[in-house]
Amino acid sequence: MMTKQETPAPRDVTARKGTRIPDAPTNRRMALKMGVAALGAAWMGGVGAASRLGGHETNVTNAPVTNIASPEDRVPFFGKHQSGVINLRPANGMIASFSVLAETPDALERLFRRLTERAIFLTHGGTPPEYDPRLPPADSGILGPHIPPDALTITVSLGNSLFEDRPWLKPHKPRRLIRMTRFPNDALDAALCHGDLNLQICANTQDTTQHALRDILKNLADQLVLRWMQEGNVPVIQPGPDGLAESARNLLGFRDGSANPDAGDEALMNHLVWVGPERNEPAWALGGSYQAVRIIRNFVERWDRAPLWEQEAFIGRTKVTGAPLDKPYAKESDVPDYTRDPEGEKTPLDSHIRLANDRTPETQDNIILRRPFNYFNGVAKNGQLDQGLLFICYQADLEKGFITVQRRLDGEPLEEYLKPVGGGYFFTLPGVAHEGDYFGSALIAAVRAPAH
Amino acid sequence: MNIKHLIPTMALLAGSVASGVALAQSAPLDLVGPVAEYKIYVSENVDQLARETAKFVAAVKAGDVARAKALYAPTRVYYERVEPIAELFSDLDAAIDSRADDYEGAEKDPEFPGFHRIEYSLWEKNSASDVKQVADKLLADVKELQARIGKLTFPPEVVVGGAAVLMEEVAATKISGEENRYSKVDLWDFKANTDGSYKIVELVRPLIEKKEAKFLAEVDKNFKTVYDILKLYETNGGKGYVSYEKLTDKDRTVMAAAINKLAEDLSTLRGKLGLK
Ligand code: HEM
Ligand SMILES: [Cu+2]
Repeated sequence: MMTKQETPAPRDVTARKGTRIPDAPTNRRMALKMGVAALGAAWMGGVGAASRLGGHETNVTNAPVTNIASPEDRVPFFGKHQSGVINLRPANGMIASFSVLAETPDALERLFRRLTERAIFLTHGGTPPEYDPRLPPADSGILGPHIPPDALTITVSLGNSLFEDRPWLKPHKPRRLIRMTRFPNDALDAALCHGDLNLQICANTQDTTQHALRDILKNLADQLVLRWMQEGNVPVIQPGPDGLAESARNLLGFRDGSANPDAGDEALMNHLVWVGPERNEPAWALGGSYQAVRIIRNFVERWDRAPLWEQEAFIGRTKVTGAPLDKPYAKESDVPDYTRDPEGEKTPLDSHIRLANDRTPETQDNIILRRPFNYFNGVAKNGQLDQGLLFICYQADLEKGFITVQRRLDGEPLEEYLKPVGGGYFFTLPGVAHEGDYFGSALIAAVRAPAH
Repeated sequence: MNIKHLIPTMALLAGSVASGVALAQSAPLDLVGPVAEYKIYVSENVDQLARETAKFVAAVKAGDVARAKALYAPTRVYYERVEPIAELFSDLDAAIDSRADDYEGAEKDPEFPGFHRIEYSLWEKNSASDVKQVADKLLADVKELQARIGKLTFPPEVVVGGAAVLMEEVAATKISGEENRYSKVDLWDFKANTDGSYKIVELVRPLIEKKEAKFLAEVDKNFKTVYDILKLYETNGGKGYVSYEKLTDKDRTVMAAAINKLAEDLSTLRGKLGLK
C-alpha cells in the first residue's frame, strides 16, 4: 500500500513498475508490462528472472501491451523521487500547466500540501466521501463510486515564472531553470507555453487522467488556474511473436524511444536524470529533475507522401523494425556503429538520431530520458490533421540535456515535417518521502530558513 | 481542503437526526423574507433596464453611434445583475444576450439578435444603420421580460442558486473576454454579475451566519479579491471601467482563481439552506 518507496534496485521489476499487488496473476501481469520478454521469465521464476533480460526491458518508452493493464495497478507514491519519470509509461498521459496563486511561503505550502493530499488519494485509489444529495458530490463520478488507482501518477514540476515572480522564492530557483526560449523551427503559441507549475498526469486510461485533473481543479480552485493542457497516448500493442519488448510508435510510424537510457539502471539514472549533490544545485532540489515539455506538431499528410527511404534517412532508423540503418536486420534495441560509417553512408550525418546522439564519449552527458505521448487534436484550420508528439524529457541538467540536444537538432531535415508550437521548461520536485511529508517540503523549509 | 465544512451524508442516510439537521435546519420558510427582498431588487433592475434600453435604442435608431456606444455598457449592467432570473425565460435570454458563437453563421447570421448584435455593428462597423430593427426588437424583448418577471413567483432555489449561477457566468464567458468581444466592456458585466451574486449572499447571510461563519469568511474574502481588482480598473470617478484588454495577466489570474473558488463555494449555498 502506501509504503515508503526505496530507490528501485536495478532490474527489480516490482519496485520500478510499482504495481505491488500480492497475488500471482498480478505478478505475472507486472512482469508482462515490463515487456513481453519477461513473460517466460516471470512464469518460471517471478520477477527476479527479469534480470536475465538485456537493458531494454526497463525502457520507459516500451509500448504498453494489450490486455495487461489493470485498474488495480498502483504506482507507489512515496519515495526519494517522484513517480512518473522512470517508471514505465502507461497508455495515457497529459501535461496540464497552471498559474499559481501563492504570494507567501505559507500560501505555497498550503498549495503543496493540498496537492499532496489529492495526489495520495487519487494515486492510491479509494472511495470519496458521500455528501447530502442537496450538495454537489465530492467527486465527478466519472470513474464510478470507487476510484481505482489505474497506474495513475501525478508528477509536479515548477516553472521559471513561479520563482521569478516571487522575490522570496527567486533565490531558491534551481540554477539551470530558465524560461523556454524559441528555437529556429518553433512557432510558439503563447497560449500553449510556460506556466508556474505543471502536472504530468499519466494512467492506464484517459478517464483516470481526466478524473484526476478534475479533482484537482475542483479542490484547488483558489490556488491553481489552468493555462493550457495537452493530452496524449501511447499505442497499446500486441505481444510480438519473438516475445520482445518493443517501443511504441509515434505518429510518423516509427518506433520512438528505442535508444532511451535504461531506466532500471539506478546509477545511470542518478547520473542522467536525477539531480545529485555534484550538480551544485540548491540542497532542496536533490532528487528532482529538469523536465522539458514540447508540443510538436507533425505534418502527417505530408509525411505520408514522403518516400520510405527518405523517411528512414531523416530519422536514421528503419521504419518497420526500428533497427539502425547500418544493421537493418538487427533489432531496434541494437545501436548503430557510427565509427564504421564516418561519412554517413548508412546513417546520414544529419539524420535525427545521429544529430541527437552521435554516440561519442564527449556527448554522453547529453543523454536525456524521453517519455513522450502521441497526441491527436482533431483538424487544423487548413483541413489538415492536427497531430503530433507531446514530447517530455527528463535530465539532471537542462542545458546539457534537452537544450544541447535540441540545438544539435536545429535545422535537421526532419524539421520539414515538424512544428513545435508550445511547451516549457520546469523543475520536477523531489519525491514525497513518506506520509506526512509533502511536495516541495524541502523548498519551503529552505525559504523559511534564516538567511546567512 | 475546502470541503471540510460539508457534512457527509453517511450519517444522514443512516437516519442520524443530528447530521441531517445540520443541512436541513433552514427550512425553505426562512427564505420568504430574502426572496421577497430579492424580488424587489430584480424588479428595480429590470425597470431600470427597460428605461436605459429605451435610451440606448433611441440612440441606435437616431444613428448616434457615439451615444449608443456610451450607453451600451451601463445599460447592460441591469441585465447582468439579474441574469439568473432573466435566464428563466430562455427565449428572451437568447433574444437579448446571446453571442455570435451561438449561431452557425456567427456575426453574419441573420438570426443573431440582441445587445451583442448591436455591439458588433457599433464597434466593428462604427455604424448603427443595419441594426435599427434589431434595436426595436431588443426593446420589445426587454419589455416582455419586464412583464414576465412582474408575474413571476420566485422559486427560492433559483434565487439562492443564482449566486453560483452568476459566478459560473463570469467563469465561462467574462474571464476570457468573450462576452463583449467587440466593445471590450467586460469589466462592467464582471462587476454587475458579481454585484448580483453578492446581493444574494447578503440576503441569506443572516440565516447561516452562525453556523457557516468559516464558509462566509472565505466567500467574503474572495468577493473582496474580485472587488479590489475591479477597483483598480475604474475610470471616470468610479462610473466606468477601462477596456478589458487593460487587465493584466496577473490580475486576470487572481480574479479567475477567486471566481472559480466562489463558484465552488456558492454551489453549496442551496444545500446549506436546505434547498434542493
Ligand atoms: C515530433 C518530434 C519527434 C519525433 C517524431 C522524433 C522521433 C524519433 C525517433 C523515431 C527516434 C528513433 C528511435 C529512438 O531511439 O527513440 C528518435 C530518437 C531520438 N530523439 Fe527524437 N523525435 C522527435 C523530437 C525529438 C526532440 C525534440 C528531441 C530532443 C531535443 C529528440 C531527441 C531524440 C533522441 C536523443 C533520440 C535518441 C537518439 C539515439 O540515442 O540514438 N527527439 N526520435
Ligand atoms: Cu450575459
